[in-house]
Amino acid sequence: MTFISNLISGISLGSVYAIIALGYTMVYGIAKMLNFAHGDVIMVGAYVAFCSMAYLNLPPIVAIVIAMIACTLLGIIIEGLAYRPLRKASSLAVLITAIGVSYFLQNAALLIWGSTPKTFSSVVGFDSISLLDGKLIITAESIVTVIACIIIMIGLTLFTKKTRIGKGMRAVSEDKDAAELMGINVNVTISITFAIGSALAAIAGVLLCSAYPILIPTTGSMPGIKAFTAAVFGGIGSIPGAMLGGILLGIIEIFSKSYISTELSDAIVFAVLILVLLIKPTGLLGKKITEKV
Amino acid sequence: MLKVENINVYYGQIHTLRDISLEVKKGEVVALIGANGAGKTTTLRTISGLLRSKTGSITLMDENISHTDAHKLVSKGLAHVPEGRHVFLQMTVQENLEMGAYTVPSNVKAGIEDVFERFPRLKHRKNQIAGTLSGGEQQMLAMGRALMSKPKILMLDEPSMGLSPILVQQIFDIIKELNESGTTILLVEQNAEMALQIAHRAYVLESGHIKLSGTGQELANSDEIRKAYLGG
Repeated sequence: MTFISNLISGISLGSVYAIIALGYTMVYGIAKMLNFAHGDVIMVGAYVAFCSMAYLNLPPIVAIVIAMIACTLLGIIIEGLAYRPLRKASSLAVLITAIGVSYFLQNAALLIWGSTPKTFSSVVGFDSISLLDGKLIITAESIVTVIACIIIMIGLTLFTKKTRIGKGMRAVSEDKDAAELMGINVNVTISITFAIGSALAAIAGVLLCSAYPILIPTTGSMPGIKAFTAAVFGGIGSIPGAMLGGILLGIIEIFSKSYISTELSDAIVFAVLILVLLIKPTGLLGKKITEKV
Repeated sequence: MLKVENINVYYGQIHTLRDISLEVKKGEVVALIGANGAGKTTTLRTISGLLRSKTGSITLMDENISHTDAHKLVSKGLAHVPEGRHVFLQMTVQENLEMGAYTVPSNVKAGIEDVFERFPRLKHRKNQIAGTLSGGEQQMLAMGRALMSKPKILMLDEPSMGLSPILVQQIFDIIKELNESGTTILLVEQNAEMALQIAHRAYVLESGHIKLSGTGQELANSDEIRKAYLGG
């Protein structure tokens, strides 16, 4: 039974990584940059939801919507102020800027909310499910997280495959100049991508803190790095890749924690990443572009 | 229809286009010929807004477009098929064509039927990923995609590049047909012989400035051109 219950926690944690990884992978796909501040947007989302619930006494669903709106705006502002001026700069300059934005957000949070941990109360309003005479307990948070992850995955896939804006995003991610020549406003498309990624980060933040309720200004950084790993693991730029990478990473992490060693679990996670990249450098679902001339 | 007056374009410190002026009148096929690195592609990219000229002006149907963003020019009737085709390799043929109609979503259905009529080979490959098409098919797709926005003026950059002689002939026949059905064309080509055959007028570009201009016939018969571009 421990095996199954570990598997469920793994899938649930992995679902959170997957939702965060989607933000990394979409932004990378379109802007060809690693937005290292993405993890901190998660933390901001969690704080906003926390304040809405604890200070304004708003119901959880309203708090989530407010957090999503706040993070969407934050994402658009970060892109417009910090990354857009660097559109033609070297990728190293953009990377350093992203790290700068990350520290800025952490320290701004420290200034606003202080260093004392906040105890996040779960947004999930029903009880855990107990199966097989209580031998197997599935937490309500796990169920909600996995369902949210599946809905987001299906939604995003349909969005990029079926809608005009979604297809435009794919066009921009492949070839900016050609997209521009089709009449697609590349800057607006990049903003939309940041907006979607950041709204997803807010959802991830709320789900993460519902399962692990300690909220501090650095709450987002480790899950951020792990989700980035998940995106690379699955094949950066690929939406199903982010999903698969996230869930596998969650399972590997929980299994190493429970069967090998809690201290070593992060090391094992990253060791698996290195192994995968050695064998398949494009990640699990990353594809090499074949080009005929 | 399109008027370029004294534009100067720089890549950093390098002065790539020097006082280029040219005009394309409604219904014409105008060719821009010249050797590699003469500035043909740069000229087209500047007209379509991907590059900026430091001085001079570009006018499209009496509107100054020197400072207009590239993506806004499509709805003003300008379409540009870039050098190297630049189709979206990971998207299907159908999706590529849909992207061509990004500014006119209402034209998707009718436009695609039109393109398939003009390029029947694309119809058979409708759901195929563009990256798996042959070079000739990709060129057809790039042209079809540009036609989806119902352009008044079509700029083609090296449509014959890397294609077999039969395909080159096919592509040029299509360009001629397009022109006869009312599309104005600005054509950049290294294959000067073919270009001058279908062009009403042509400009010869050398090291970033216009060296000669005249009717297609005149230039094809000029000794200078024959020596430099037509192999004697």
